[in-house]
Amino acid sequence: MGDAVTTTRLTRYFRRHAAVDGLDLRVPAGEIVGLIGPNGAGKTTTIRMLTTLLRPSAGQALVCGLDVRHEAVAVRRLIGYVPQEKGVRHLLTGRESLEIEADLHHIPRRRRDQRVAELLDLVGLLADADRMVSDYSGGMQKRLDLACGLLHAPELLILDEPTLGLDVVSRHRIWDYVRRLRAEGRAVLLATNYLDEADRLCDRITIIDRGREVVTGTPADLKRDVGADVVRVSTDRPEVLRSAIGHRAWVRQITIDDAGDLHVHVDDAATALPDLVRDAVRHGVDLTGVHYHRPTLDDVFLRHTGRVLAGHPA
Amino acid sequence: MTALRAGHPRLQELAALTRRWYLQLVRDRLNLGLTLLQPAFWLVFFGGAVRRMVDDRVTGTPDYVSFLLPGVVAFTAIGTSISGAVPLLWDKETGYLDKLMSMPIARASLLGSRLAFQAAVTVVQVAVILLVAAAMGVRVRTGVVGVLVVLGVTAVLAVALSAVFLALAFHGPGHTTFFAVTGFVTLPLLFTSNAFVPVEAMPTWMALVARANPLTYAIEAMRLLVTSGWGVPVVAHLVGLVGFTALCVLLTHHRFRTYTSAR
Repeated sequence: MGDAVTTTRLTRYFRRHAAVDGLDLRVPAGEIVGLIGPNGAGKTTTIRMLTTLLRPSAGQALVCGLDVRHEAVAVRRLIGYVPQEKGVRHLLTGRESLEIEADLHHIPRRRRDQRVAELLDLVGLLADADRMVSDYSGGMQKRLDLACGLLHAPELLILDEPTLGLDVVSRHRIWDYVRRLRAEGRAVLLATNYLDEADRLCDRITIIDRGREVVTGTPADLKRDVGADVVRVSTDRPEVLRSAIGHRAWVRQITIDDAGDLHVHVDDAATALPDLVRDAVRHGVDLTGVHYHRPTLDDVFLRHTGRVLAGHPA
Repeated sequence: MTALRAGHPRLQELAALTRRWYLQLVRDRLNLGLTLLQPAFWLVFFGGAVRRMVDDRVTGTPDYVSFLLPGVVAFTAIGTSISGAVPLLWDKETGYLDKLMSMPIARASLLGSRLAFQAAVTVVQVAVILLVAAAMGVRVRTGVVGVLVVLGVTAVLAVALSAVFLALAFHGPGHTTFFAVTGFVTLPLLFTSNAFVPVEAMPTWMALVARANPLTYAIEAMRLLVTSGWGVPVVAHLVGLVGFTALCVLLTHHRFRTYTSAR
């Protein structure tokens, strides 16, 4: 399958400031690609170029092979865009909102009502379809926005902070719908500041900063590059345990902290832990606590940008 | 409707946009009620209060309410045009305009549907004003055809003014500026026209300003139709009004295109 998005040296200036500076981005069909960066990194400018709302100053952006600059009208038929902001719909019902947007996407009238009902059902709003949108919760409004973006079955769905401000249940529902789209072979470009969201949802991630691509990869690869997993072991006899496991192939480094806990750096905690516990038992070492943590995207972000993403402790 | 059923995309999007404007208006009931009633209050209270202190030789007619009627129509068109730009101003500020622009609709459909809708709303308001005026004893000298022409002038004037205020909504930095400017210009726009006083009765400098004010042409055309009768001046004023309207629509279309696509 071809790429839903390919940008080549994509650049956009505002006066002399390059908001996006030579960005190479790829979103293959059937993948969810996360676009991550601090505020002002160029995420929104990139999205605005891909949705034909801004012209690139230089470089090229193709959506399903069509140039956003020269074939904007055709591009608009292929994309579904769910912006961060809520539209003014408080005087409409959910069903009316969808019907109007279906007409704006030129969905034939004979198919419209059925399509609207399908999407209301998909996002779990069928029972509330005829209530005013002003009565909807934040999560319901976001699901309605998502349904609006899916009306015309777009090849590429662009989501800008789709779960901003939502509760956990609503976030998981949105994630489920996005995964379903991937299963249907559609491409999703997801701009988010929630690193856990990117980690759970995205096949690949591009981190951008100051308008440039910093790094691209799968969440697992990016985290692996940061370093090994760290297993923290609490025991009365840390030196004995260090000797017992020191020769093991999966150990990269062992340190003992001031509290006497062992910090064992391993390639993969999941495979190392059973061996570690077995060695401790064989050498008669009692373990009072075992914890491990894997590098998170916060660690990845910190490593590549030198900064902590706003609101996210590293 | 045949074309709609055939799925003509432009008609379908125009119908959808108009439906959105309509639902937003009728569901905002307080606003709708005041929008319909306010101009009638002007005619009843202002016209009723002032009619006895106006000199017939100045207005050229013994019936000040008939004289005032076109002024109230113009006042109504200004107010409705300002409030008519607000939904698009909110769309711009909430980001929904961007969503609309990312859909495969023609830019002209958005602007055209709004201008046509504004014209229709203003015509309904003015029809109510004409009924109130009739109840107050006003008889339009040119009859039913004249009334229809007055409604036509209303529609053209509403398009011109709506275009101007929409351009301000797109061009301005935000709603604070929009409301500051529109709050300031309404009364000067009216007082430098012939809404309340004929041009001939104004001081020279003011008459010059009034002749440059496009409201004057619309009001004069309607005033002749209401108080005098058919004549060449009516046509001349209408030509001036239509020219001004075309200019406003072109200007706004340009501003809108600049805002939505050439950035």
